[in-house]
Amino acid sequence: MKCHVPGPNVKVLGRTIHALARFGDELYLESLADCILLRTLNASESAYAMLKFNRNFFSYFNYNYYSTEDNEGLKCKISMKSALNCFKSPAHMDKQVENLEIKLDPEQCKLIFQFKCKHGIVKTHFISILDSKAMEAVYTKDLVPNRITSSQRILSEAIGNFQNSDDQVTLEALAQSVLLRNYIDANVDLSKIIRTQINIRSVEFDSYIIGFETIITFTMKEFKALLAFAEALSLPIQLQFESTGKPVVFIIHNGSTIEAHFVLATSKPDNVTQGTSTQNSSRVEKSKRKDSNLEQGSASKKLHLDMEVSKCLDEDSHLFNFVDIPCDIVDKNNCDNIVNSEKTCVNNSVMSAMDCDNIPASPTSRTMIKSVFQRCFESTFDPRSIQRVVLAENSDSE
Amino acid sequence: MKFRAVMIDTGPMREFSNIVTTISKLSKECVLRLSTDQIYFIVSDDNSGPTPPILWCEIPQSMFFSEYQLIGVDDEHKDIYLGFISANLARPLVTLKSAKTLKMKLTKKQCPCLTLEIEMPSSTSPQTRHVTHDIPAIVVPRKIWSDFQEPQVPKPDISIELPPLKQLRTSIDRMRTMASDVVIRASAEGRLTLQIKTDMAKVSTRYKGLRVDTFEGPIEHSDSETESQINEDLSRVCVCRVDAKKLSMFLSADQISHNRIICSIVHKRLVILCLQTDENVKLQCFITGIVY
Repeated sequence: MKCHVPGPNVKVLGRTIHALARFGDELYLESLADCILLRTLNASESAYAMLKFNRNFFSYFNYNYYSTEDNEGLKCKISMKSALNCFKSPAHMDKQVENLEIKLDPEQCKLIFQFKCKHGIVKTHFISILDSKAMEAVYTKDLVPNRITSSQRILSEAIGNFQNSDDQVTLEALAQSVLLRNYIDANVDLSKIIRTQINIRSVEFDSYIIGFETIITFTMKEFKALLAFAEALSLPIQLQFESTGKPVVFIIHNGSTIEAHFVLATSKPDNVTQGTSTQNSSRVEKSKRKDSNLEQGSASKKLHLDMEVSKCLDEDSHLFNFVDIPCDIVDKNNCDNIVNSEKTCVNNSVMSAMDCDNIPASPTSRTMIKSVFQRCFESTFDPRSIQRVVLAENSDSE
Repeated sequence: MKFRAVMIDTGPMREFSNIVTTISKLSKECVLRLSTDQIYFIVSDDNSGPTPPILWCEIPQSMFFSEYQLIGVDDEHKDIYLGFISANLARPLVTLKSAKTLKMKLTKKQCPCLTLEIEMPSSTSPQTRHVTHDIPAIVVPRKIWSDFQEPQVPKPDISIELPPLKQLRTSIDRMRTMASDVVIRASAEGRLTLQIKTDMAKVSTRYKGLRVDTFEGPIEHSDSETESQINEDLSRVCVCRVDAKKLSMFLSADQISHNRIICSIVHKRLVILCLQTDENVKLQCFITGIVY
């Protein structure tokens, strides 16, 4: 594969790399016949990003530059650090770089970035290829009931109200408005934390379809990174999400040349929420605790060990992975090159989707418990799932 | 206990934000005292138990709030004292600079909170959006209210207007790198001298023609520390040595748009810096003198 990126687009590519670097430590590059895909996955496998550059992003694009027989597409994995080194200051890149040539030879072990800068300066970066595999996440985005299109400005203004120390954000999608608030861990001392809630009315968004009111929580760091990316390209963001526990997909595209998907795992909201919903939900939880014969660890502080377990299971979704893989085969179409971890997102979400369908009104503690102890409710009891629980308990160092 | 207040004017909101930001720079924790006519920000010395406050800021509520309701515990204790981490209060208030309205409420959401409801204009549409911040507070029990009374200070020997804070700050910040304490000397003739001494150098900055508000002379000098310029009447000069860091911290208050700053000195014992704004906000800083 050999391609040329014109000067202005080098800046876009630079921004992309910088956004991806906030997600993961490794960069997967895949070249198909008509596009280049960049992908990354974060260490805890809760965030995934994919960028697709169509052929017309490039001034020259030759997929068959080195060989003509290969139909499968060229793939390589490089370290994010070395990719970042090539694009040190994306803001000024378009002024210095006239042309960028990217070469990937399947027979070689280097990926070559060659920057042709002003005044005849040529900078060539040889990047070691760590692996020649590709990675792909499987997620549903087109069939989800909740879709919001927003200008990046609305979201970044909203996020500006949070404190720097906030690491997760909860989005509550209601029929008429979106509530954003900082997620408060149940173990955190409430007297030290500012709780912030932002109410954005649906009319502010470019389009707003909520088919299923829900609450999702995702990480702030990656969210900020993708907002910065959207801001740099001044493109709107499409949010597509289903329900608690299922991944949220952020899509940023300009129609023809570039398309970015950012997938973030979502976790369940805790009992500690803010504003008017607080009192209501905690009351609901109390009444639930009475009629349920399960220990509802999530709501009480005494049982926070239980809760940590459940949280581990929630967040570290690959704990479910081994148990669930055989039973759900949702995506048959492109299962070939799915990296193990990527299924987790889906598995996790499929599970919680089943739960949420039962109790659509309050996806708080009961769903959490149900998803944790789900195995117990099933007729075929799999002891391995119990083992997983124990495992999680031991490794709660996070 | 109930408290509710509304701010709708942009000017006072910006001012309020500046005041709280300044206080957060001067201290880690502060106490907000709410009373019927004024609200007070009070900062005690961080490290030394119950001492008189080192910072006292009073804000007339009527100048800032269009609505102000306050109900204390009972008739005898009409005020409310709330303890905050200053930064927690200051950071959400930074957004006030572009806000339309601010509502403050005392709420109980698992812990006592001061809830700020800020109405922000939207940049993309005529809509507004509501941002709610719950800032955790500690309700100060009545038995330690006495720690937060206005400090009783001796009558100052001299009160002199300070030159513009920015100028003063640049010289103090330079001096601070060389010595830990500064000698402030003010004369009844309107001269102000800031001086440091090190083994290598003696640096002083002199200002003259400053307005003297009051002078309760003559001053008695007993030791050799007060060397003076030639032909200056020592009995009309007031001296105090203070910690340079504390002084410089107060000088960072220059982002509050003030109309005057008075420096009052109790000879060799205390420096009181008092900043006043057009809205009758009074920010006082008490820096005790260092005596060798």
